Amino acid sequence: MSATLSLAAKRGFDTETWLQRLIVAAGVLFLLLALLVPLLTMLVKSLQNGAGEYIGLSNFIAYFSNPALTESILNSLNIAVWTTLIVVSTAFVFAYALTRSGMVGKKGFRLLTMLPLFAPSLLPALSMIYLFGNQGILKDWLPVDSIYGPVGIVMGLSFWAFPHALMILITAFSNSDARLYEAAKSMKTPSWRVFLTVTLPSVRYGLINTIFVIFTLTITDFGVAKVIGGQYNVLATDIYKQVVGQQNFQMGAVVSVILLLPALVSFIVERRVQRHQSSQLSARAVPLQPNKAPLRDALLTLFCTLVCGFLLLVVGMAIYASFITFWPYNMALSFNNYRFDMMDGGGWASYFNSLQMSAWAAVIGTAVVFLVAYMSEKIKPMPTARKLLQLLAMLPMAVPGIVLGLAYIFFFNQPNNPLNLMYGTMAILVLNTLVHFYTVCHLTAVTSLKQIDNEFEAVSASLKVPFYTTLRRVTLPLALPSVLDISVYLFVNAMTTVSAVVFLYSAETTLASVAVLHMDEAGDTAPAAAMAVLLMLTSLAAKTLHWLISHQILQRTQRWRQR
Amino acid sequence: MTTSTHYLQIQHLRKSFGSFTALDDISLEIKEGEFICFLGPSGCGKTTLLRAIAGLEQQEEGRIVQAGRDISTLPPQQRDFGIVFQSYALFPNLTVSENIAYGLANMKIPRREREQRVQSLLDQIHLPEIGDKFPGQLSGGQQQRVALARALATEPGLLLLDEPLSALDARVRLHLRNEICALQRKLGITTIMVTHDQDEALTMADRIVVMDHGRIAQIGTPEEIYRQPATEFVARFVGSMNLLPARVLSHNQLMLGRKEVQVPLMLPPCDEGTLGFRPESVQLHAAPWGLDRSEQLVFQAQLEQVHFMGAFVRLELGYDAELPQIHVDLPVEQLHSLNPAVGRALWLSVPAAALKFYPQEGQNRNPVSEAGHNGQMNLGVAAMQVAGA
Repeated sequence: MSATLSLAAKRGFDTETWLQRLIVAAGVLFLLLALLVPLLTMLVKSLQNGAGEYIGLSNFIAYFSNPALTESILNSLNIAVWTTLIVVSTAFVFAYALTRSGMVGKKGFRLLTMLPLFAPSLLPALSMIYLFGNQGILKDWLPVDSIYGPVGIVMGLSFWAFPHALMILITAFSNSDARLYEAAKSMKTPSWRVFLTVTLPSVRYGLINTIFVIFTLTITDFGVAKVIGGQYNVLATDIYKQVVGQQNFQMGAVVSVILLLPALVSFIVERRVQRHQSSQLSARAVPLQPNKAPLRDALLTLFCTLVCGFLLLVVGMAIYASFITFWPYNMALSFNNYRFDMMDGGGWASYFNSLQMSAWAAVIGTAVVFLVAYMSEKIKPMPTARKLLQLLAMLPMAVPGIVLGLAYIFFFNQPNNPLNLMYGTMAILVLNTLVHFYTVCHLTAVTSLKQIDNEFEAVSASLKVPFYTTLRRVTLPLALPSVLDISVYLFVNAMTTVSAVVFLYSAETTLASVAVLHMDEAGDTAPAAAMAVLLMLTSLAAKTLHWLISHQILQRTQRWRQR
Repeated sequence: MTTSTHYLQIQHLRKSFGSFTALDDISLEIKEGEFICFLGPSGCGKTTLLRAIAGLEQQEEGRIVQAGRDISTLPPQQRDFGIVFQSYALFPNLTVSENIAYGLANMKIPRREREQRVQSLLDQIHLPEIGDKFPGQLSGGQQQRVALARALATEPGLLLLDEPLSALDARVRLHLRNEICALQRKLGITTIMVTHDQDEALTMADRIVVMDHGRIAQIGTPEEIYRQPATEFVARFVGSMNLLPARVLSHNQLMLGRKEVQVPLMLPPCDEGTLGFRPESVQLHAAPWGLDRSEQLVFQAQLEQVHFMGAFVRLELGYDAELPQIHVDLPVEQLHSLNPAVGRALWLSVPAAALKFYPQEGQNRNPVSEAGHNGQMNLGVAAMQVAGA
């Protein structure tokens, strides 16, 4: 140890290494201040009374002795279990159809299933109201009394969570090895046994992973439950009610801590499973070519059509309802609902605020994410700090948006915190959104950096070219596709997110997604749907732009990719 | 260090990864213009040693002096070397010319001169026409030659090659072997190459450093390494060798299996060891007449198999059921003149100069582990001989 230290001290001053250290330190500081410290502040708040005095676990005792509050725990679990069951089983069959069957029109089906990714989670909830609500067009089809409650939440969440499950399962199903199937066939194995002994084991980890991702997504969701939950309370809406309704911040903190637990547990399990997944497939595997089986393919096509039909119905209903002048009395089509300046929630200004916020999140966020990922993957100094960086970058996945939002209030609203200046500005919204969606971006960047030869840095050092030149001339151009992916991901999510920012906007920085919530609260369901549709269209436009850039500009600048 | 003529001096280098010792007190001196190979199985520390010389790994103890300058603690960009990796590590988004000029860009050389330099390097690697292509459009061998040109572009004092030929197919490998050697001789640049391929090391190097478990097992010219392997490990690793476990009875008596033999060697005072000799050093005789046992090892063995190997024939002979088979390589003509039938007993002689005896390390074994050891030995010999063939 002492030998190492003395050697480190003897190393001459070397600007490059110091620059690298500085950036790593800045990255660690950023994630500490924007993530860990706010969460710890919230933890402390849950142990304090309204006057800020330490009262131990009294808040928790008060919480658990109030059955009205603890009921939400069971409600949340109930919602999460049902949604996970429905979404994972549907997505499993759908992914199987897309990857292993001879079904036609796979590309079309795949595109349609992406649709929910671009809608705010409030949109399916609003659609449910128009479909199955008290004046809904399909009200008679509903087997239960009212859509306002668990059934509505589960249906809305199923719509919203479906593409997330599908993405992971498609990846799992794509890792096939045709040789195993040929071996099974040559031993005259019946196809049900092939499914049980070859197919199922190969997607096992993907399946477990999907279950935990969907469970986390649904147990922490705020938007759907807020709009269509009615009297059915879940943990996420409890936090909102405690904080916004009753100004009881301490109890809000307590519920947040409770909501953080299942999310953390499922996050840890998911990371464990992920580790197994990567080592599954050998490099020699031969990809499976799906064969045709008329009966199976027809049944699967029918199934996929039904699923996509449901997705289209939900989206189509929201679009249609947004153009109805006054549901259900005046069914004439008009743009009246798009005159947002006449409603609550900030009007058109909130839409432009959202655009601005999303643009900043995309630009600054991509730069920060990429730089931090580069530092944690490609450089040598400060191994401990880089480990910490990787750990912190994974954490946001486990933190529900509403919990992060509340933690931000506690941390940034302290009068003696110099960062207090950010409170109520656009900056805190951008920061919060970036941290909220950090993990997926980080993983995307890391994955693409891992595919780049690790010796590039060594080669540049031997050629006396500083690391930032190689980053600019080589690494960044190579990772450009994933950089674009990250920026569009951040943009779309910043446009559509509600949960984290609902506590953080000010009168000057109202956001469109929050406006949807407020218009719905005020009874303006149709304008709420109109704004949700507008957000979805904006996200789709951003994605289209991204696609155009990837296909046109990349083709011109990345001539070297062609062989 | 000013009194020394050595270009690179490595003194008592130590490095470990956790509990694994990668480099264990490595000391080595390399002359200017020498071509050195670090040879050893994977995990022996050869790549770690190369990376320590480059500054890509930081040693825990020890000094590295290059051209009179102590570079032990300098970061790689302040050292003087060019490096070529097994993976080529060419920048895929830059053309071949841009790749080669990558290190020249910050040397403040006029543009014209830079272009000339790139062109002359392309000529030197015999690929003058490919400057505008991207690495993805080249074959593996061409890419590796471009990587070599890029490493040489800044005219470093030391060239480091990290398994540069391992990713190439056999014919390209042979061709590139000669090309690297020719270029190295022409430029006179001090070169260190890491390889696990003994043929590569034997044909290319001026001197070979054989490494095992983080230590240097032997340093010597290819001929020394082949003819005088210093340890049983080197004997196993380089070339193929018959290695027979033996018990020492007296200063010139060995127990091989269940048979006693007289050896023309002065045996060291120990209990057990291994007797080694190369397959090609054995002579076959129909009868033991006229063989001098004080100058040759003479024994009888039964011919069990004959393998035709092209230029030569490999015979497998059984000497004792407890011992591994003995391999003998013979030119094809010699076999024809002898014309032995399988199953026949033949007389073998090995000249004293070709015999090696390695005392066993760590004596005092109980009989059970001794048996186990012999079992492993058989396997080891078999594996080695397959590798040698």
